Amino acid sequence: MLPLYLLTAAKNKPVLIELKTGETYQGDLVNLDPWMNLTLSNVIHTNTGADEFSKETEVYIRGMHIKYLRIPDEIMDYAKEQNLLNMEQRNKNVKRRGGDRNQSGGGGRDHRRGGRGGNRRFQGDRHYNNNHHYQQRDNE
Amino acid sequence: MSAQQTQQQPQGQQQEQKQHRRRNNQTPKQEGPKREAILDLNKYKHQEIKVKFVGGRQITGVLKGFDQLMNLVLENVKEQLRDPEDDTVLTKETRDLGLVVVRCTSLLTISPVNGFEIIENPFVQPQEQ
Repeated sequence: MLPLYLLTAAKNKPVLIELKTGETYQGDLVNLDPWMNLTLSNVIHTNTGADEFSKETEVYIRGMHIKYLRIPDEIMDYAKEQNLLNMEQRNKNVKRRGGDRNQSGGGGRDHRRGGRGGNRRFQGDRHYNNNHHYQQRDNE
Repeated sequence: MSAQQTQQQPQGQQQEQKQHRRRNNQTPKQEGPKREAILDLNKYKHQEIKVKFVGGRQITGVLKGFDQLMNLVLENVKEQLRDPEDDTVLTKETRDLGLVVVRCTSLLTISPVNGFEIIENPFVQPQEQ
């Protein structure tokens, strides 16, 4: 169970974030990215001294400055469930893909042929450039 | 590797899974976070936003531009000054900074000014119960 996977499962769930500065943000987790940058909605912000409170509709938080996150206990089970569902989905995909494996192989070869043509053209360009250099030198 | 081997899966099934993962590795083992922008700053363009910085400074300004790294361009920027004796306490005083480019590396949080309100302690009641 990796932390970022767990957090992904906690999307749209209420979470509490404490920053390194000691401020806390409580709200619904909207989205996150691989750097643990977060967006929260319907947020209650508490300052470092825990004596001032404010409401904010949406907040973006840099993952680098997070001290810790509190997430609901049920997330563990929810994440496992999601994982199982994903596995099933993947198995279905494997069965579906079994038939057209040969077709994709042919496509790969075609692609390579296209690449060679590009190379040839590039060499031609280089030739042209070399001539150009010579011309320049002659002029000098 | 060693962790996979200790799993009590039949060898054949394991290999099958590995092969499959190699063939279309665009499907991760489990759903993780995506490499996409998680905040669309376009919806805040020409609106006033509040930006907090690493180190405790806080400014508000009208968002004029931004890039993928979240460097920002703000107009009519006002900094909320802090108590000279205690860095963590904001005062009512502000100072005008005008047009500002905010460096992404020192950015801590972004939130819209619209929808911000100071409230009483919402956590008192649960503590009393």
